[in-house]
Amino acid sequence: MYRATLTIWMRHMRKFFRNREELGGLLIQPILWVGLFGIGMGRMVSTTESYLSFMLPGILALTVLGGAAGGGMMFLDERLRGILREYQIAPIPRLGILLGHMLATLTKAFFQVAIVVIVGWVAGARWQGGIIGMFVALIALVCFGIGFAGLALAVAARSRSIMGYHGMIFLFNLPLLFASNALYPLTEVPTWMQWLALINPATWYIEASRSMDGVTQGTMPTMVSMGLLVGFATVGTWLALRRFQRLTQSH
Amino acid sequence: MIDVNNIEKSFGEVRAVAGVSFTVARGSVFALLGPNGAGKSTTINMLTTLLTPDAGHIHIAGLDVVKQADDVRRIIGATFQDIVLDRDLTGTEVLDFTGRLYGIDTAERRQRIQRLLDMVELTDAAHRLTGTYSGGMRRRLELARCLMTEPQVLFLDEPTQGLDPLHRVMIWQYIKRLQAEQQMTVVLTTHAMDEAEELANTVGIIDHGRLVAHGTPATLMRATGSERIVVTTANTDQPSRVDWREYTWVQSCDVIGTEIHIGVDRGAQRMAEILHLLEQAGVRVDEVRMVRPSLADVFLQVTGRLYRDEVR
Repeated sequence: MYRATLTIWMRHMRKFFRNREELGGLLIQPILWVGLFGIGMGRMVSTTESYLSFMLPGILALTVLGGAAGGGMMFLDERLRGILREYQIAPIPRLGILLGHMLATLTKAFFQVAIVVIVGWVAGARWQGGIIGMFVALIALVCFGIGFAGLALAVAARSRSIMGYHGMIFLFNLPLLFASNALYPLTEVPTWMQWLALINPATWYIEASRSMDGVTQGTMPTMVSMGLLVGFATVGTWLALRRFQRLTQSH
Repeated sequence: MIDVNNIEKSFGEVRAVAGVSFTVARGSVFALLGPNGAGKSTTINMLTTLLTPDAGHIHIAGLDVVKQADDVRRIIGATFQDIVLDRDLTGTEVLDFTGRLYGIDTAERRQRIQRLLDMVELTDAAHRLTGTYSGGMRRRLELARCLMTEPQVLFLDEPTQGLDPLHRVMIWQYIKRLQAEQQMTVVLTTHAMDEAEELANTVGIIDHGRLVAHGTPATLMRATGSERIVVTTANTDQPSRVDWREYTWVQSCDVIGTEIHIGVDRGAQRMAEILHLLEQAGVRVDEVRMVRPSLADVFLQVTGRLYRDEVR
């Protein structure tokens, strides 16, 4: 299984580094996010530095979400073009195929994460949570990424067209971020939105990240948010695996 | 080698395959022949573990395709109806990734890549991206790819679809060589009659998800009836001078203009007899030819439709 996962991951990486458009877009995107959105919004809220630190986890969540959506897209493209069949007729476990795609998706996403963090640091955001806190926040982001990569792959394993996939995936993207604590503290929004935010994995990640940072007081204990994120990652992977195993039932 | 027993597959309301059975002997080439949409690809997809049949059983080398899918996957190779190559990879990389996926070690991989690229005459293009390949080159690379794992059974879904005549013959030669030199068992689908006649030891004709005929090309063609002797005479009034129905070896007789179409039991043998009779009757003969029945005639007979109407 490791062999299959590694081979599929390698293949995606080779294609990725060969595709200059994808590479370029992927690098510029986070810079634009932090540069335009973070700093622009920050001016509006007036206290630039702390707001950027406040919303940086939100941008990271969005970056990983975009990465997960892109990973699903890449898989759907392979599926619709028939490339997937090459893996399907190979004597490798379906979980190996799934993990190969997931690993490639997360690798790309975390390239972007690294850039966002660097650009954020240059723009004045500072991490106060120490090295262990940073590690925990990273784990939280990885779990968040696995969960959504799994969901995106599950959707991509079913979609009949690229348009259909985008329709589904759009639900996961910006709305998910607006219905979370990414851009504003939960104390500032109506109760129904608070409830919506509380069942949103983006909130769990951002909560975990902020409480590790120590700057803002989190609204839920870190153990809870981390537990929810691990559960989310498991469910996402499980859903995708179930869809992968059913690929042999229809076209 | 392959035993297919009454398999079925439906997609919603559509019964793509409605009870198909056949066997393929080790080392032989089996052609699944039929018009587009007849159920060929669905059948192949079930044989290659890509689809699970709704009913029926498939055994390859004694292994159950559903229950022992991974064991089956280890001994088969396949190409698909549409070309599925990653355009962003080079020819060598495509083969290398397949080798890695199957866990073949580096030295062995290199050796096989070199040998296969040589076989399909792509050594010069090995380091170009497959996106720059022509259709024929892609098909050849795909054939090389499915041979990377040294399979016992090869499944080729429409291996020459969309190729120019030169490339078709090229692919045919590869397939014949694989069979002759490595005793490879090959299952291929085609909607081209000549391809099945050229390559197959056994032919199955599939129509509307059912196998309507199954046998060697020769048996099938013999079953449709006779070979025909076509005589072109000098004048239109001459053909009727001989009453062909008197002879027991004549199976049918049609006069079309100056041509007489005589269905006979054994063409080569009866040709001289026919000429002798015509000479006795004083009929002047311009031309004589023998027409062997083709698989297209078989298709016409078993389905009641002309084959050419079905294609495209």
